[in-house]
Amino acid sequence: MDKKIILRRMRKSKFFMVGCTVVVLLVVMAIAAPYIVRFDPEANALAEKFIPPEGLTKGLDGHIFGTDQMGRDIFTRLLTGAGSSFIIAACVVVIASVIGTVLGLVSGYFGGAVDTIIMRTTEVFMSIPQIVLAIAIVAMIGSSMPNLILVLVLTSWTSYAKLTRNNVLVIKGQEFVSAAKVLGASKLRIIFRQVFPNVTTPLLIQISQQFGMTIMVEATLSFLNLGIQPPAPSWGNMIAGSRQYLTTAPWTVFAPGVALMITVLAFNFLGDGLRDVLDPKRT
Amino acid sequence: MFWKFVLRRIGQTVIVLICVSIIAFLLIHIAPGDPARIVLGDSATDEMVEAYREKLGLDQPLYVQYFKYIGGIFKGDLGTSTSYQQPVAKIIFSRFPNTILLTLATVLISLVISIPLGIIAGVHQGKAIDFFAMLFAILGQSMSTVWLGVLNIYIFAVKLKLLPTIGTGGLEYLILPAITLGYPISAQVTRLGRSGMIDVLREDYITATLAKGIPSSKVYTKYAFKNALIPIITIVGMQLGVFLGGAVVVETIFSWSGIGQLTNQAVGNRDYAMVQSLLLVIAAAMAIINLLVDIINAKIDPRITLQ
Repeated sequence: MDKKIILRRMRKSKFFMVGCTVVVLLVVMAIAAPYIVRFDPEANALAEKFIPPEGLTKGLDGHIFGTDQMGRDIFTRLLTGAGSSFIIAACVVVIASVIGTVLGLVSGYFGGAVDTIIMRTTEVFMSIPQIVLAIAIVAMIGSSMPNLILVLVLTSWTSYAKLTRNNVLVIKGQEFVSAAKVLGASKLRIIFRQVFPNVTTPLLIQISQQFGMTIMVEATLSFLNLGIQPPAPSWGNMIAGSRQYLTTAPWTVFAPGVALMITVLAFNFLGDGLRDVLDPKRT
Repeated sequence: MFWKFVLRRIGQTVIVLICVSIIAFLLIHIAPGDPARIVLGDSATDEMVEAYREKLGLDQPLYVQYFKYIGGIFKGDLGTSTSYQQPVAKIIFSRFPNTILLTLATVLISLVISIPLGIIAGVHQGKAIDFFAMLFAILGQSMSTVWLGVLNIYIFAVKLKLLPTIGTGGLEYLILPAITLGYPISAQVTRLGRSGMIDVLREDYITATLAKGIPSSKVYTKYAFKNALIPIITIVGMQLGVFLGGAVVVETIFSWSGIGQLTNQAVGNRDYAMVQSLLLVIAAAMAIINLLVDIINAKIDPRITLQ
């Protein structure tokens, strides 16, 4: 597609502009976190516990979002937690989308027994609620970062496989694929040079939405004490840790909750926006 | 044709359940350490562990162990819970009704809100009510159950003091968990209902019925909505899995003693026999619900049986 057209559509799509801006901002802040923050994310400072947000009164000098039950600066913990959440989500989305897409391509292109086996496998995985399967596996193998990534990949590759397979079924009946076959192109070449480029658009949209979803599931696991382990901060375990102080110090829970909501919202906007930009027929 | 479809779907469900039972069986084996020691917990004596090894046949090949495990399930033996010192099956089935109650309340509340909202938004596309409905939907799809649950407690229980915060009890205890669990689904159903209505309203037969002078309210609810219903049933059916997953969080936040809370407690207590069985029971419940949803859809739209 023409780059100019894409750029014009990007500027026109409000979803894309808002989503993209917020996502870029969040990622930059998460990466720059170690240079921005002025407090230790994990060290207790009990003398300073439950300081309400000072962002409006003291500006950037005080505890912008206040402090929690251990006297730790919430803004610092939010940014530090964002870093680990984003790294996990990025690893999960990349690995799961590669595995899912390859299986989807193979399943859709070859059909027959291969297709049946792969599709039945996705059905088995989809018949267990994602959170329940993730909890069960983490409970067995423990909750280190690699284990967390492994579990999230195991519970999310199916969506890419199904999506890609369904699109391949449409593409492979088209004439340019038959033409490539007649010209004697190898199966691998047809799959990766002819079919794959035509399934990337829905895949990109899916990846963007899955990124938000993965962050949400990771937060849920951390909330249930099965994800990132305290004192290391994660939005999920921040909500869990401060939940009992909701009445007296609501900001301790609201800050990670709102951060989580904005992040997921931004990735969903980005997904909707990508649809506007790359696939205008469907909107 | 219909019965052939039903039989084929039942066959598929059985295969899925067999595979899930294999996953549940292997779960105990992927944990590092001796499976018998893991299942019995640290308090068990060496003799107990040895006796349990005998019973499970841990010295025999994996497939023999699997068939023993399956044989036990068919006799209703899901093992013994280490944290309750009681049969796992008994505890799971004593908690199940609470989760079913929560799920029913969730489906009810979310549909009561989202179906009218979706219809109204679709009929009044582009107006203020449509914008409001879309805002409701977008927010709902981005809210984590964790955050939504805490927010609901803050608004309705702490600030407005309208509802009890946590516990298992009468209807008033059910409202907040059901809203928390149901909002993401409401969001999706609102979206689907809206786009379904927009599509259906473009059809010629709707124009024809309107032209005949049939009141528009009747056209929208009786003719148009019926055709927008199938994707909604499918989504609600598919989302029941998400319900059961979300129930772990919601039941934990609101101390609702169903199988979701039980799952979380079992993991915390390292009660592996319980975790294993819950995985199996929840997946079985989901597979059966999906089967029913497909059969209902096939009844409504016979074309589905041809696929």
